[in-house]
Amino acid sequence: MFRTAVHPGLWEHKGKVAAVGVGHQGTARRWDGTAENSVGAWSIAACRKAIADAGVNPADIDGLVLDTTTTTGAHWPAGREIPMDVVAKFNQTDDPLDGIAKLSGEWIVKNMPELTNVKYIMTGPGCMSACIVVAAQAIGDGLCHTSLVLKSWHNLDGRYYQGGANAEPTISGPAKWTNPWAGPASLGTATQFQRYMYKYGKSHDLMAPFMQNSRHNGLLFPEGYWAQHRPEELPAEDYINARWVAKPANLFDNDIPIMASAAYLFTTAERARDLKQKPVYILNHASDNLKARGFGGFPTLEECETACENVGTRLFEGAGLKPDDLSFENMYDGFSLFHVFHLEGLRSHGIGKGDALDAFKGDISINGPFPISPSGGNVGSGRTRFWKHTDCIQQIQGRAGARQMKLPANVGVSGGPMPTGGNFTVWGSSPD
Amino acid sequence: MELSGGRFLISFDIDGTLELGDPPGRITTEMVKRARDLGFLVGSCSDRSATSQKAIWERMNMEADFISLKHMLDDVKQRFDMHRYLHIGDRDLDQMFAEQAGFDFLWEHEAYTEPWLDWLNGAGGPIAGQP
Repeated sequence: MFRTAVHPGLWEHKGKVAAVGVGHQGTARRWDGTAENSVGAWSIAACRKAIADAGVNPADIDGLVLDTTTTTGAHWPAGREIPMDVVAKFNQTDDPLDGIAKLSGEWIVKNMPELTNVKYIMTGPGCMSACIVVAAQAIGDGLCHTSLVLKSWHNLDGRYYQGGANAEPTISGPAKWTNPWAGPASLGTATQFQRYMYKYGKSHDLMAPFMQNSRHNGLLFPEGYWAQHRPEELPAEDYINARWVAKPANLFDNDIPIMASAAYLFTTAERARDLKQKPVYILNHASDNLKARGFGGFPTLEECETACENVGTRLFEGAGLKPDDLSFENMYDGFSLFHVFHLEGLRSHGIGKGDALDAFKGDISINGPFPISPSGGNVGSGRTRFWKHTDCIQQIQGRAGARQMKLPANVGVSGGPMPTGGNFTVWGSSPD
Repeated sequence: MELSGGRFLISFDIDGTLELGDPPGRITTEMVKRARDLGFLVGSCSDRSATSQKAIWERMNMEADFISLKHMLDDVKQRFDMHRYLHIGDRDLDQMFAEQAGFDFLWEHEAYTEPWLDWLNGAGGPIAGQP
């Protein structure tokens, strides 16, 4: 299912799978406790929008790929009462938190009666990036022909990443080997970026143009959190002066947790030709499986660089393309600092190791020769890990609205989450 | 303006403290205006950017005497020579930065009764919630 060999060869399903529909629902900073704004309800709405956008008959859908986890840091607190009035509004599975703080395929099918022919249900663990890879391979392999691809996020009141083991005074179990230093979630990335700055003679301030550009692009994303709730640009001074969370990662380098849902409709290239929207062809997918050797489970900078470089090689070789064939890139940015590693791993448009921060001084906007993160990513629209994928589809379809890049959007790349262990996709306007 | 009990400054955190914050807190715009009208210097010290804090004050239809990042509370103290400094917030970090900067500190849930109004009567002792 996952293509992890350094030289996996041309993808056998290149150009034979296409994205045709997009649906978004949300956003909100936190769940308001109502049934209509639950993560389950938003997931249904996003799926229905994607189906309508594609112009597909729901009865023709035979696949559903989703991430059953809907948070990384807002788990339902032990002992907290489950709102059974919300549960009762839906056709529930045997888990009362299904549709509230998690999401199963069974729950979706039970609550979308129009999905009468779904036979293939699969998990894409952790991220829309994984869901896309799984769905693309499944359609290519003939396990299904038309699939919803769904990723949703809930967020609860209270602070993110403060519950569970993080609230305990000591660490036990396997986590004692991976979390020995305490610290916030961005600690590992901050450590890598500190090493990066030393290795290449750079400074954190050089991230400012990327952050400004990302927020600006995010404000052009109508479905995004900042566009909807706090339409504020991010001047360089605001970014540079922000409080350190784990130096050199500051508040804005850490993405803002939100609630949102996104769904895509994937199908075969043959079926896509007759649908409502222009098909966006999947030219390849690739994944990383590097295991960090460092104590504490944090990959070193060099391990990140190796992983990103390997992913770049896999992506282009498997798509039959060269790095400079990329029209734009939408690699992951939550935490913002590792976007640098992802970008350099692509080795596109002359950006190699140690070059990204200097590249940010140039025109990286949607009007430039090689737009960097035209989606705005998590920096520009909140923590969902899916804006980048939506943007790739919409850019190539010519439906990115105010975000539409000036030059033709023929080939894009997106994926994540982390530099090590992520899943990545090459999208194209042509199947060839 | 010098109040009867001295010169006082109140710093408000925003999210979880002011009613316009996200999440909303219990400190209303009316309370902030009342303090300002009575002669307190009022402003905000938040993790929000300066741009974002200015937008909040515009929504309150008020001009802040100061806007600062939360971890720069000590700069506020250096800018203004006052008899008392108070920061109000809802997070451990608010308390930590307030104490580091030499501010009195009130949790948001302790502050909505406006205990600073007692200062106008010359009540100079510890404020509610302080040891």
